[in-house]
Order: sequence, then C-alpha cells, then structure tokens
Amino acid sequence: MDIVESTSAGSPGVLTLTLNGRLDADGTDTFAGRLAICIDRGERRIVLDLAAVDYVSSVGLRSLVLGAKRLAPLGGRLVLCQPQARIRQLLDIAGFTSMFPIAASRDEAAERMA
Amino acid sequence: MSSVSAVFVNQRAEIERLARLAERFGTEQHLSDDDVMMINLVLDEVVANIISHGYDDAGEHQIHVTLALDDADLTIRVEDDGRPFNPLDAPPPDLTLPLEDRPVGGLGIHIVRSVMDAVEHRRDGSRNVLIMRKAIGRT
Repeated sequence: MDIVESTSAGSPGVLTLTLNGRLDADGTDTFAGRLAICIDRGERRIVLDLAAVDYVSSVGLRSLVLGAKRLAPLGGRLVLCQPQARIRQLLDIAGFTSMFPIAASRDEAAERMA
Repeated sequence: MSSVSAVFVNQRAEIERLARLAERFGTEQHLSDDDVMMINLVLDEVVANIISHGYDDAGEHQIHVTLALDDADLTIRVEDDGRPFNPLDAPPPDLTLPLEDRPVGGLGIHIVRSVMDAVEHRRDGSRNVLIMRKAIGRT
C-alpha cells in the first residue's frame, strides 16, 4: 500500500490521501497508521482517494469506520472518493453509503467537505 | 469440474498466500477480476476469522481450502479443526445505524453471506466444514 498525501490551494484545510494498492490486512496496517498520524497532527477534513485501490477486506472496512468515528467528535469528516465499481458495491453491501459521503471526483469530494 | 486445493496454517501471513491461490485459480479458469476479488474477499474473511478466533491453544493447525468450478458453479470449501463455529449463527449487522452507534466489526460474515449464493456449515467430527457456492460468469 502506497499513500500519497496532498493538499490543494483551492480546498484549504482539506487533506487528500491517495491510496494505491490493497486494503487487506497488511495494507490496512499501513493506511491506519498513516491516518492516525494525520489526525494526531490536526488534520480534520480528510478525503480518501480510492481510485487505485483494487481490493478491500473487512479489516479495511473496519479501519474506515474507526477513522470516521475518531474524526466525528473532533468536528472532522472522512469523505471517500472515486471507489472502483466493485469496491463501491462492497461499500453498499457493508451499508457504508449511508455512513460516508462518497464522491465521484476530487472536486465533488471538496464540495462534500464544505 | 476443475479444482485447486491448498493447506494453510493458522498464521496471519497466510492471508497473502490465500490471495495468490485465488489469483492463480482465476487465471487458470479465466474468471473475471470481479470474481477473483470476490473469491479473495470470501477466503480472506473466513480464514482470517478462523485464525483469529478458531483456536483455544497456540499450536499450529491446518486449514484446508478448496476452490472448484463446475461449469459456471463456483464452490469454495474451507475446513478447520478449530472450536465449533457456525458463521450462520452470527446475527446480521444493523446497517441503518448512524456512524456513532455503528459497531466497528461484525461485517465479515455479512459480506460472505451477501456475495455468495449459498453458505452451508456442518460440524464433521472435530472439524468445521464451510461450503459456499455461487453461480458466476466466465470471461
């Protein structure tokens, strides 16, 4: 799992984590560790770009719920962005579509943060 | 009928080998990427659950996995000698709960039941036998 952190002048206060790889047990360790570091240093509005994630297991799903649960009382938010069709289907099965904003593009993700 | 079998031990590092088994089977049988991910996900959930919760001792145990394809009918069979566990006993999660009330786990079995057409568990002597079936399309 490779993770790129990025910010955009057009969306101040929003951090985007672009995930590349598999959110399986190992990938989730990497991702959850990175997300925790970001929240610890004060990031509150976080977009997860999932376009290059081709696999998510229930361990990965759990880490998304944990992240969102940690951010909510801090006034923060986790927005999921551009999941592949099969990942999107999994998010539906897991009931995540009612729990997370899911954006079709980076621009939409920034709007959902506003 | 084409099938592939492999034996895994109760260590987390085996999850990676499970993924390779699913991928190899998918390539050999010309399955779609979606089907390979589905097989991968189901194996990941079921075997990770056995490794994490199946055993009362710290010793090494074997987990037998078979993937079989008969025409377009996929069968995934997982056998372990862990404590009796019927995943069908697990209550379905309440997916309507808001984030703050949502439990963090409990999704694995729900996902398996959702993506497979049929799930069957039986206790065979000292072993759990879990058989999961799904009709799939070949590419």
